Amino acid sequence: MSILRKRLNEFDDALNAEEIDLINLKRLCFHGIPDEGGLRPLCWKLLLNYLPSTRASWSETLTRKRTLYKTFIEDLIVTPGEANSDGERVDVTLHDHPLNLNPDSKWQTYFKDNEVLLQIDKDVRRLCPDISFFQQGTDYPRKEIVNASGQRRLHHRVQHTVLRSANVERKGLGVTKIAVSVRKATEDYAPLAEGGEAHWEVLERILFLYAKLNPGQGYVQGMNEIVGPIYHAFACDPDQTWREHAEADTFFCFTNLMSEIRDFFIKSLDEAEFGINSMMSKLTTQVKVNDSEVWMRLHQQELCPQYYSFRWLTLLLSQEFPLPDVMRIWDSLFADENRFSFLIHICCAMILLLRDQLLVGDFATNVKLLQNFPSVDIQIVLSKAAALAGKNLNSP
Amino acid sequence: MAKKTYDLLFKLLLIGDSGVGKTCILFRFSDDAFSTTFISTIGIDFKIKTVELRGKKIKLQIWDTAGQERFHTITTSYYRGAMGIMLVYDITNEKTFENIVKWLRNIDEHANEDVEKMILGNKSDMEDKRVVSTERGEAIAREHGIRFMETSAKANINIDRAFSELAEAILEKTHGKEPQDAPDRVTVDRRVERNSNRCC
Repeated sequence: MSILRKRLNEFDDALNAEEIDLINLKRLCFHGIPDEGGLRPLCWKLLLNYLPSTRASWSETLTRKRTLYKTFIEDLIVTPGEANSDGERVDVTLHDHPLNLNPDSKWQTYFKDNEVLLQIDKDVRRLCPDISFFQQGTDYPRKEIVNASGQRRLHHRVQHTVLRSANVERKGLGVTKIAVSVRKATEDYAPLAEGGEAHWEVLERILFLYAKLNPGQGYVQGMNEIVGPIYHAFACDPDQTWREHAEADTFFCFTNLMSEIRDFFIKSLDEAEFGINSMMSKLTTQVKVNDSEVWMRLHQQELCPQYYSFRWLTLLLSQEFPLPDVMRIWDSLFADENRFSFLIHICCAMILLLRDQLLVGDFATNVKLLQNFPSVDIQIVLSKAAALAGKNLNSP
Repeated sequence: MAKKTYDLLFKLLLIGDSGVGKTCILFRFSDDAFSTTFISTIGIDFKIKTVELRGKKIKLQIWDTAGQERFHTITTSYYRGAMGIMLVYDITNEKTFENIVKWLRNIDEHANEDVEKMILGNKSDMEDKRVVSTERGEAIAREHGIRFMETSAKANINIDRAFSELAEAILEKTHGKEPQDAPDRVTVDRRVERNSNRCC
């Protein structure tokens, strides 16, 4: 029996149990989840506490969550003045209107939301530009959104509208020629036509709903890089029934993951126990303990951890490696019992692997090296990290 | 230790709202290329370019920052060491221009008093989408006594010039006024009467 076959069997056995043994599953996932058979999206849903360990309750949980997500869309993505579900247009001009200064005004909320949306819109259009996935259309667009003549499409709300000028040419009594210069931008991240939706539009909605439901936090740049890989995994599930609900499932898994790492995204918590600064100093300490020479080098060069590890830690390394490698890293991170100590181990391993270069490079060379991590076999990084964590990593 | 291959080291910083094109400007300057496919900058990014000014090799160490508020605690710590700061807005986006004032306040709070500043109105190739006129850009620069230029990273307009002018200004400051260097740099104001060439 091949090693892969054996591993697939192990996963099948673990996942098919009536009551899934999460500790065992985590142990398996830590060594990497095989790309085959939709195992990754399923395991992630379990590791991120979206699916309960009792298989019998899956269907009820999923139905409940997905219905809830539908109501989020209905309740939170509203344009004041639009026709309600009965097809009746609510009269808004009498009590509420765009110039209404009342803080409870629907229009006030709408304009406020659009500021958040503007930021999200900029970021989802520049997510993973090296792959074409996010620019492609989803097979499962939200019908209530895409068939509303653009009304409920989020990016519609923040589109730049400018008055176009035209050259008017009139010759005597002849025909007036109006030359409107329409320069069509060939935009890669173009929204799809009525009835269709690109994957980035789906992500825009997920992030917007998250920001609306978590007003204390809102949207912070970088969240797009967290939701992206999860959605990619779910939307590429070989099983159609899972794929169909990728959006709602992603939303809840993302929300659960954010609840664990949200401190990284909140400025006022930078100094707190689980804030980003303490994570960075944990990393520095670990480098010092394991390789004092490298630590000393960086220290003498005043190469602060903020220069590189702020991004590494905040984004769970999603900007440092190609997507397939990121997914492999996340298998281990999500399987980590004491999240996210393994993340620190990985970051430390990354630095130690560059030791020879760091010891000869000057400040500028070293910052560049750390900010653009050279392409390596991710297995080497993870094995080194596992060794630092006092674990063994099986090769796939 | 590697041999020192430059005469002077200048530290520059790029700031401005998210999406105005800071990373694109830097990429155009350092790699002479343009790409629409940039991921958003998280925290702080870094590039190096050596230029030659008045016979001196000057190494420019340029820090590119994230635009969003969340990253300010991280990014403002770089203000202190910066000798030159480029403030970027997007001429097709009113809000990014309005926020220039906010960014200037940030500089006042966190940077050295004698830091050289320059305002850049980027995306000047997108004339059909322009909402901030050149005059308004010039006016705010004049008001604060700062250099100003409209740039396009995409069409490669004024990018090199902006960096060399900023470097030139820093060079002049660090070396004091040398008699032979009659400043041939372009001043903020295109009209001659009252230009804002003063150092603040």
